[in-house]
Amino acid sequence: MPSRNLALRLTPRVATWALLAVACSCSTPPAPPVAGAVRIRWAQDPENLDPMVLPNPQAIEAANLLHGSLLQLDYAQQLFQPALATGLPARQALGDSLAVLTYELRPEARWDDGKPVTARDVAFSLKLMACPPGLGLPNEDARLAYRFVREVRQEAAFPRRVVLVCAGQAPTHLQATGTFPILPEHRLDAAGRLRRFSLAALQNWPATHLPDTGLTAFAQQYHAFRARQRGNNLPGCGPYALAGWTKDARLTFRRKPAWWADRLPASVPAVLRAPCPLLTFEIVPDEATAGLALQRGELDLFPQVPARLFARLRQSAAARQELAFHAAPSFEVVTVAFNTQRPGLADAPTRRALGLLLDAGGLLQATQLGEGQRTAGLIGPADPRAGCCDSLPPLAFDPPQAALLLGQAGWQRHPDGWHRRAGTAAPATALRLRLRYRTGDAMQETIALQFRAAAARIGVPVALLPTEAGALGAALRAGDFDLCVRTVKGNPFSCNFMPLLHSRAVGEGNVSRFGTAASDELLEQLAAAATPAQQARLLRRFQIMVREQAPLVPLFVVPTRLAASRRLAGLRAYGLKPGYAITALHRAAAPEPAAAPAP
Amino acid sequence: MGLHFLGRRLLNTLVALWGLGSLVFLLGRHDPAGGPEQQLLSDGTESGIGTESRDPAAMAAARQAVRHRLGLDQPLFYLSQQAPAAANGARWRWNGTANQYHHWLARLLRGELGHSLRTGQPVAGQLGAALCCTLPLTGTALALALGAALWLGQGLAGPRRWWQGPVRALLLALQSAPLFVLALGLLLLLANPQALNWFPGYGLADEELAGWNRLGELARHLALPVVSLVLAALPDLALQLEAALRHELGTDYAAAARAKGLGEAQLIRHHALPNALLPTLTQVTGLVPALLAGALVVEVVYALPGMGRLLAAAAALRDYPVVLGGVLLTGAARLGALLLADVLYHRADPRIRWTR
Amino acid sequence: MDQVAHRRRQYAALAWLLLVAGAGLAAPYLPLPFAPAEPDLLAVGVSPAQGAGAGHWLGTDPLGRDVLAGLLFGARTLVLVTVPAALLAALLGAVLGSLAGYGRRLAAPAPAWLLGAGLGWWGLALPRPALGLAAAAGAGAWALGQWLRHRSGPVWALSLDALIQGAGALVGTVPRLVLVAAVATGGPLSLTGLGLLLVLTNWPGPARLVRAETLRVRALPFVEAARALGLPAACILRRHVLPLALRPLRADLPLRLAAFVGLESTLSFLGLGLPPDTASWGRLLDAARLDPAAWWTAAPPMLALLLTTGALLILSKK
Repeated sequence: MPSRNLALRLTPRVATWALLAVACSCSTPPAPPVAGAVRIRWAQDPENLDPMVLPNPQAIEAANLLHGSLLQLDYAQQLFQPALATGLPARQALGDSLAVLTYELRPEARWDDGKPVTARDVAFSLKLMACPPGLGLPNEDARLAYRFVREVRQEAAFPRRVVLVCAGQAPTHLQATGTFPILPEHRLDAAGRLRRFSLAALQNWPATHLPDTGLTAFAQQYHAFRARQRGNNLPGCGPYALAGWTKDARLTFRRKPAWWADRLPASVPAVLRAPCPLLTFEIVPDEATAGLALQRGELDLFPQVPARLFARLRQSAAARQELAFHAAPSFEVVTVAFNTQRPGLADAPTRRALGLLLDAGGLLQATQLGEGQRTAGLIGPADPRAGCCDSLPPLAFDPPQAALLLGQAGWQRHPDGWHRRAGTAAPATALRLRLRYRTGDAMQETIALQFRAAAARIGVPVALLPTEAGALGAALRAGDFDLCVRTVKGNPFSCNFMPLLHSRAVGEGNVSRFGTAASDELLEQLAAAATPAQQARLLRRFQIMVREQAPLVPLFVVPTRLAASRRLAGLRAYGLKPGYAITALHRAAAPEPAAAPAP
Repeated sequence: MGLHFLGRRLLNTLVALWGLGSLVFLLGRHDPAGGPEQQLLSDGTESGIGTESRDPAAMAAARQAVRHRLGLDQPLFYLSQQAPAAANGARWRWNGTANQYHHWLARLLRGELGHSLRTGQPVAGQLGAALCCTLPLTGTALALALGAALWLGQGLAGPRRWWQGPVRALLLALQSAPLFVLALGLLLLLANPQALNWFPGYGLADEELAGWNRLGELARHLALPVVSLVLAALPDLALQLEAALRHELGTDYAAAARAKGLGEAQLIRHHALPNALLPTLTQVTGLVPALLAGALVVEVVYALPGMGRLLAAAAALRDYPVVLGGVLLTGAARLGALLLADVLYHRADPRIRWTR
Repeated sequence: MDQVAHRRRQYAALAWLLLVAGAGLAAPYLPLPFAPAEPDLLAVGVSPAQGAGAGHWLGTDPLGRDVLAGLLFGARTLVLVTVPAALLAALLGAVLGSLAGYGRRLAAPAPAWLLGAGLGWWGLALPRPALGLAAAAGAGAWALGQWLRHRSGPVWALSLDALIQGAGALVGTVPRLVLVAAVATGGPLSLTGLGLLLVLTNWPGPARLVRAETLRVRALPFVEAARALGLPAACILRRHVLPLALRPLRADLPLRLAAFVGLESTLSFLGLGLPPDTASWGRLLDAARLDPAAWWTAAPPMLALLLTTGALLILSKK
């Protein structure tokens, strides 16, 4: 077989030549970026840019660039500021449970084709989100989220005035009315088919009724329009347009040359600035790779840097020359939640005793390398609202005390573990715990292993159940665990803990399945608190209630960490995701000089 | 080995592919943790402070609406189990053709792979785009690994040389290093400004380049991923080939050939290699499905948009049509590779034949 | 001289394997300063140089677990789970591969197939169970008729080759997550369950190797001669074909061990692998993913794996 032998003889040579050729071409330096462009690392693809779906944080970030909303978050001041609206809404109570909000739209606000943004567009966006099931619209999530907007009124004489009637009266709750993306009615529903329906009619569409022909025709036209767009992206009035998208690799957003906010009079509010001409989001799933790319100058910003990489980069003199580091406490509190419906965990003394087995200080040091803060409550110590709670010390790690408290809670230690009898006749309950956490999450695994080791020392057996992310939610909702590790996301405005601990949220957000009449009432009062003083007083009662009842044990606040090229100007770390204000970012002409070495 | 045989094997392959697809279809949708509606709606257990409270009843209704929109509320198969036994004693109920499996199969026979549950985009398009990145990577790696294995295997089995010991030790070391260690190690060594900064760190070439420049950039970007894949596949191939060659060189016909005065290199190339190639052929055809399925670890480390990441994300988010499309594609490659292996065995050793 | 060197190397290999086995079995009784699954929160990710003072002779991984304890207890997992699973997978692969390669077929008279199908229908209580009973009765009548008329009916055969190859392709192609959905309805698997899962997902590789070699050996003159002598197929397969056909496994089995160790940690990532408090070399290797700069986490298990694979390869040579 001469032909094969020839091939065999040649293979090594061909391979060597190919490798040589590749190695030779390697001497060229990396291509310079487009002038003024900023490249940001994303860990995953946004998947879907449909503003009604937005399946992950990346998609939400992209939607904020593409779409305008009535209000927008000002990261520096941690407040919602008017964007499409001229100001914060005028608020008026209606009865004892409804509120009427009046927004005025900016006269300058325009779509890309020059048509003004009007109240009709706002009403259309709300109605689109409220469309009943059966039309094939992927709006199930948005439909639930904006259900509290009961009515949208327009006035013919004032085409830029929107009046919303909402359920609930707490001011922080009503901010959500300003956050949904506004979509152009004249592009998506030129025939005005949705105008015939009131918002309430769409929201309360009977499940037995099939949607009528007008709605169906609208849905078909909408689907056809959407299918023509890249990634289900819909036209928006935000500062950027999607210029390129390679799935799992890169998204490019180009600044619109004539964005309406550029025509605003001199003092442009911070949320309406967009100085960067080109934003590129590079999808780099691996953190070590992203760290290298940042050092090589292939990335400008690496948000949410893992603790260990952050510390290593900060210690490296070469990296300090090129990179700037920012950190701030976030609003995310790592907690361990108990399933309070388990027989062994139904009483607060047992939960309080087990809480002493968590070494929050050691875990903070081990997982965050000391950055971040220990916290006694669900509002971190850096938050100004927590000033009222400084009398509450963080829990101490104390296994012997935990054993003592377990004894006081009625448990008796036997050679084979702890047992408790409810009555003389009742069968004994054994204290065996199952701790569920997300597999592959190093922080959660460290917490689980630490708890297990501490519990083993006082004779409490703990089985660890690492669960794949896709199955974890269902397991927690079903209450199939004794303890779980959970990160509670907060924000600077709201004190509404009802999604976390109210008995109405059992089976959803209240994974602890906790709730008494008194605690429910306290949560409702806290969510509806009208003045800061009232809020502070109730918050203090709430934090003490969480400590005493211990449905969950707050451990520490995780920090936001940013590492960025020194050529990036306007960067600061904020507690809210994504941790930076993209409206302030731009590429500086000269790199910021290296500061004194980090301590 | 006539056309009749090939036709029969092809028919077998198609039946096997149908069985494979059906099994994955039924197993995948029989998920105790719940289907894609869990991933498509925001997870209540992740809700934070101040989010709109959602009561379980409303969430259940929304989940049902998602299932209905995606057609997941229909029965799974022609038959479904009944909870209480029916009056006639049957524990199974006949669902007719209004079931998910029937719809899937009917669409598949028309050549449609369906649409992604998450994005609504056609599955075929997504697979095609991912293959455009994966095939150059895995194809080059397979070809290079095979070439290097043939070369190294012959060298290791040949006359004693000083480098054989170290190379063997190196191959063993490569074998005991997991792929991600290899990939990360190469990256930290050769794309690190604090070590050797020779290669780009991640991604593919810029789309704006054209022609030779683009090809050169592509080669630069793919060099490290390809090398890590080659290093991972090489030890197995080379050491197995060496073992087989050594065995052949110890047989009578090799002794006869040596007695005839044939050089060792000639002996290996012309006589031993064809006989020793069988395990290598098996291993190489075993690698063929990975050509299409991609290399998840390397794609993640080097941030390449390939099949491995597409399928892993689809499986994690329970995007059934994409997963099934990937399974059918890799399944076809695997079954095709088995057929190819049998044809190649026959070429390598014409005595091999098949009784039906 | 060559023989002596080889013999020496074999002794060294054996000594290493005994050391690993001994360390694994004795691990719980060794006076180790730290337990393998207990994180030392004060020394997380410390290198051997920094950690030696605190008793972490080989440093700790990014979760604060002692590397030395992980290595020793990992040897225990290797001895008790990985090696048996790899051996079993090779054995299962060898049996199925040789059957497939030898071209055996699963043959039975047609009425027997029909009887089985009918009884199965009835036993599973599929719709109209009586239909299954009727089919079974019909099959019985058919067989009786044949027997009374002393005529042999049609024999239906299934090619074992196609069946085994199809099953192998199936196991190799089903995505791991779908497998998880099929296997893990409850909590994590027991060690035995994990071993079985590893065996079930890994037999096709050895099976394909053995099948290819069987195809070749089957055509060799001495096997033809044995067949001509009228020896039963099972005897030819066992005595004459298998000893030769198993040869590729000798090089394959040691090399596959490393893949098995890697697989344990991959499965752990899906929440299906080893329990998180069981140490294994794969888990140590995997911890390096969290911090690629922590070379001391990955290097010891890699070295141990290298020596073990090498020792097994040396022993597998005559």
